[in-house]
Amino acid sequence: MSEEELFAKVVEILTPYAKNQAALAQVAPGTNILEELKVNSARLVDVVLAFEDEFDIEIADEDVDSVETVADCVTLIQQKLT
Amino acid sequence: MAPRDEAAGALPPLSGAELAQLSRQRLVGQLLAPLWVPLASGLMALGFGWRIENARVLRARYRKLRAESRAPLLVCANHLTMVDSLLVAWALGSPLWYLRHYTSLPWNVPEERNFASTVSRRALIYVMKCLPIRRAADRKEAALVLARLAHLIGRGDVGLVFPEGGRSRSGRVEPDAAAYGVGRLVKALPGCSVLCVYLRGAGQASWSDLPRRGERFRAELSLLEPKSDAGGLRGSLEIARQIVGRLAEMEQAFDAR
Repeated sequence: MSEEELFAKVVEILTPYAKNQAALAQVAPGTNILEELKVNSARLVDVVLAFEDEFDIEIADEDVDSVETVADCVTLIQQKLT
Repeated sequence: MAPRDEAAGALPPLSGAELAQLSRQRLVGQLLAPLWVPLASGLMALGFGWRIENARVLRARYRKLRAESRAPLLVCANHLTMVDSLLVAWALGSPLWYLRHYTSLPWNVPEERNFASTVSRRALIYVMKCLPIRRAADRKEAALVLARLAHLIGRGDVGLVFPEGGRSRSGRVEPDAAAYGVGRLVKALPGCSVLCVYLRGAGQASWSDLPRRGERFRAELSLLEPKSDAGGLRGSLEIARQIVGRLAEMEQAFDAR
């Protein structure tokens, strides 16, 4: 899967959790998930579990601490896939 | 190089300065305990007229539990009012007993905006075994607070958290609201037992800031050793759900009494 495809998949997974639809429409790799997309911090867990299911990977608790932007998600998933 | 905190497991390591700060906070709290512990319980008993109806039974059970095991212990309670941490501590031990068994007086993790908004409040919760956390904190900041709590529990103190993450807006235990952080905390403490506490006032129909004056409380205890075969975040969430699930069962039994 290319980085662009991975990015698109991550955005697709984030979509139902994003409260700021305007920010979602202009989403970029540097978009902050909590502050700009307004994903509830408690729901970020569901997002990460959705990544695990979608990509058949396991994400450690501490991996999630450094996730702030959409690009961070893409990087994390890429790391787990390799 | 800063020392690493062995008890913290998957939580971020604490620096030497942070460990020293925690030791200092604990010492200051303990030195001032002869003032604030009786004051807090006096305020509840005399100021608000609150009473824990089955306190004698609860305290005997907690004393036995603490005497029998030195395993890490985390107290997890349902959450309906802003003073639940005080009420739970009061239900589990008398002021005099806590002065002699200071490690058994639980640390808790209050919401910063509610309890640490002014200098005087910050000073108060500093001595009252509190590690404030911001509800919307970024994950690194929240993980650091969990690491501090894990360190304290790992060295023999007791922790108290509300695994639903906040006061239940429905007035009932909400299994879907399980905050994964509590599972992460349990995972970071090998052999950790969880003492589930369901506490409710007779007139407490829903959530509120304070219980009504003269409220009569009852509480039930249940010891749990939550486990999960799943790794990572999923395992943490599973453990958190087991704890909140137990509290929901306790609520049903409480209602059926």
